[in-house]
Amino acid sequence: MIEIEDLVHVYPSGTRAVDGVSLSIGTGETVALVGQNGSGKSTLVRHLNGLQRPTEGRVVIDGVDASTRRVAQLAATVGLAFQDPDRQIFAGSVRGEVEFGPRNLGLGGTALTEATEAALTGTGLAGEADTNPYDLGYSRRKLLALASILAMQTPIVVLDEPTTGQDARGVSRIERIVAELAEDGRTVIAITHDMRFAAAWFERIVVMRAGKAVLDGSPAEVFDQANWPVLASTYLEPPLAARVGARLGLGSTPTVRALIERLGEGGGGTIPDRTPG
Amino acid sequence: MLELANATYRYAGYAKPVLRDVDLRLGDGEIVGLVGPNEAGKSTLCLVAAGLAPASIGGELKGTLTLDGTPATGMRTHDLAERVVIAFQNPNTQRSGIAATVFEEIALGPMNLGLPIAETVARARDAISRLRLEPIVERDPQRLSGGQAQLVAIASLLAMRPRHVILDEPTAQLDPAGTRLVGEALEALAEAGTSLLIAEHKTDLLDRLCHRVVLIDGGRIIRDGATADVLGDPSLEGLGVEPPARVRLARDMAAAGIGRGVIERALA
Amino acid sequence: MVGGYLGPLAIIAIAVLPAALVAGVAGRLVRVSLLLTLPIAISVVLVTVFTRSGETVLFVIGPFDATLEGVDFAGQTLVRLFAISTSIGLFGLTTEPRSFVLDLERRGLSPRFAFVALATLEAVPAMVERAGVIAAAQRARGLDTEGSLRARLRGVLPLAGPVVLSSLTEVEERSLALEVRAFGRPGRRQLLWRIPDSGTQLVVRGLLLGALVGAIVLRMTGTFPALP
Repeated sequence: MIEIEDLVHVYPSGTRAVDGVSLSIGTGETVALVGQNGSGKSTLVRHLNGLQRPTEGRVVIDGVDASTRRVAQLAATVGLAFQDPDRQIFAGSVRGEVEFGPRNLGLGGTALTEATEAALTGTGLAGEADTNPYDLGYSRRKLLALASILAMQTPIVVLDEPTTGQDARGVSRIERIVAELAEDGRTVIAITHDMRFAAAWFERIVVMRAGKAVLDGSPAEVFDQANWPVLASTYLEPPLAARVGARLGLGSTPTVRALIERLGEGGGGTIPDRTPG
Repeated sequence: MLELANATYRYAGYAKPVLRDVDLRLGDGEIVGLVGPNEAGKSTLCLVAAGLAPASIGGELKGTLTLDGTPATGMRTHDLAERVVIAFQNPNTQRSGIAATVFEEIALGPMNLGLPIAETVARARDAISRLRLEPIVERDPQRLSGGQAQLVAIASLLAMRPRHVILDEPTAQLDPAGTRLVGEALEALAEAGTSLLIAEHKTDLLDRLCHRVVLIDGGRIIRDGATADVLGDPSLEGLGVEPPARVRLARDMAAAGIGRGVIERALA
Repeated sequence: MVGGYLGPLAIIAIAVLPAALVAGVAGRLVRVSLLLTLPIAISVVLVTVFTRSGETVLFVIGPFDATLEGVDFAGQTLVRLFAISTSIGLFGLTTEPRSFVLDLERRGLSPRFAFVALATLEAVPAMVERAGVIAAAQRARGLDTEGSLRARLRGVLPLAGPVVLSSLTEVEERSLALEVRAFGRPGRRQLLWRIPDSGTQLVVRGLLLGALVGAIVLRMTGTFPALP
């Protein structure tokens, strides 16, 4: 359970990156955080594991005020996958990199091996466990950075632009990981620019603009036509399915699935299953 | 015109070539998209088309790169810089590190070409206005957001007024607004006669911008044709390339048994 | 004996400190110079106080005699060190490296050299910043570096790898990006910047040059003695 109470963060330069945000995120919720660059998304999520501390306001995680804990302590609860993998990778092998996090958290022996293998398999890196990370391409290093956080098996997982730079297979992998984390009851928060990804895989979308949360609801609510002016004011466009549904007068259809269901024609044809290639 | 003929390229120290028998032509004012799964050779193709492979990074190139009728073999990198430039996806590595303001950063390129001061300033101002960077001209380049930094990096290249611009995933770190801005600037460039090669995952962007799209896999060109034809090809997904949203939606609706008429009405 | 101190102290009192006060960097200058000369000062003192042969023994530690002559020698050396470090420090604190290098280029220095010099100067803050980001990433993965000293030391090792490695992987892309912008092009370029130079600066430069010549002459004629 995450409670963000009237959070304000002002950088030393004077920039008011987060300008009074209050959010409650329940255990096991999946939340997509969207908004322009500079709207405060990254700054906000960094308060969850203590990398940023509030200028005003509080962040309370499972009843504990985050400012009373060190970053390394919060790491047992909140796993944050950085956007740039090269600012994190240091080990000589993929496996060594993935083991670093869980080791720090005190895992050892079989528990460590299992956590590592699960993370490697989930990100498709099991075959390269002994490869040097810098022999992998950039997009696979990004998956490695994600794996190293997954292996920590934290109840809260925060992903900073996970699909950026991935090809279709990589995106499918990320989508499957999000679904599995949700099924496992973990809280998943993702910063993303991909509206289709946000609408299809997250039950809640928070739109940020200039340090404030301007929209907060389910994808159907957020991408409803009534909210399009707000989205436009922060240069965001609803996903194609939403635009088509609105044009056909079908109400709010944020995903392809919703659109097809509303259309209801074709005698209940099957909705195609997107399995990763 | 930029022309690659029978290009086969092998990185220095590697046994196998990453590009095989690639033919590619960029006409003046053409915008050509480059799609393919990761590790198919998109970035390598970009480096070869820009002449940096092998002129800067070594390796072995069989086949030829011709820039506006002149073969690029033996050209030094600063000779290449006057004709073709390449933008990478990471804005941090494209920053010179020696400019105090965004304006200076953008002016460095033309200045390095030995141009008179008035010309340098004019070109810098032009690039700034194209990408609408006026609000940040006085800012420290080290203190920009990722998206802003990428726009500055692209502007720094445009200020050199090259005939050919290669872009390797230029919008990877940009938000939708930044992506649109870059797209508009690139369109205007092409209208002025510059030829562009854009490697991207965002097929929606390529759908809007490109006259032609090239599909690469395993180092070979698999398809090279009109944007609608290539991006509408059903084999794209199997190859790891996400088709544009409208193509995917139409396909999903058809697979769910929804009639053609409805689909056409939906995507009109 | 006193004469040995006069020269360096004169330099500090007449040339360095007034200039530092005018430039407003006196406090920082003294702090930085002390910090920088401290390591050398310690070794100088330890070595010379105990090994300089002399007659007046002040105290004894084991097989080593501390002589008055040794202390005097150490003192004179330290004062010279301080004169040197404050002079260099004054230059560093009052000159903008970019202006300096660019002005050299205007006077004929090759643009390539100018670029390398500038990039090196800028490299350190960039590495410090990168180290900060990497340290944050490691903390976010449970590496506890806040708190005890041992924890802090433990935090340094996983930092070295990524700082160096990501610097190296960046180097290739960075140099490609530079070549694309024609940084390696031979020949002169017309600089956007002009470093302002005033009549006053010209006069002061002339005076300084004269003072340098004068100091050399004085030294040659023995007015300021060498170290004993």
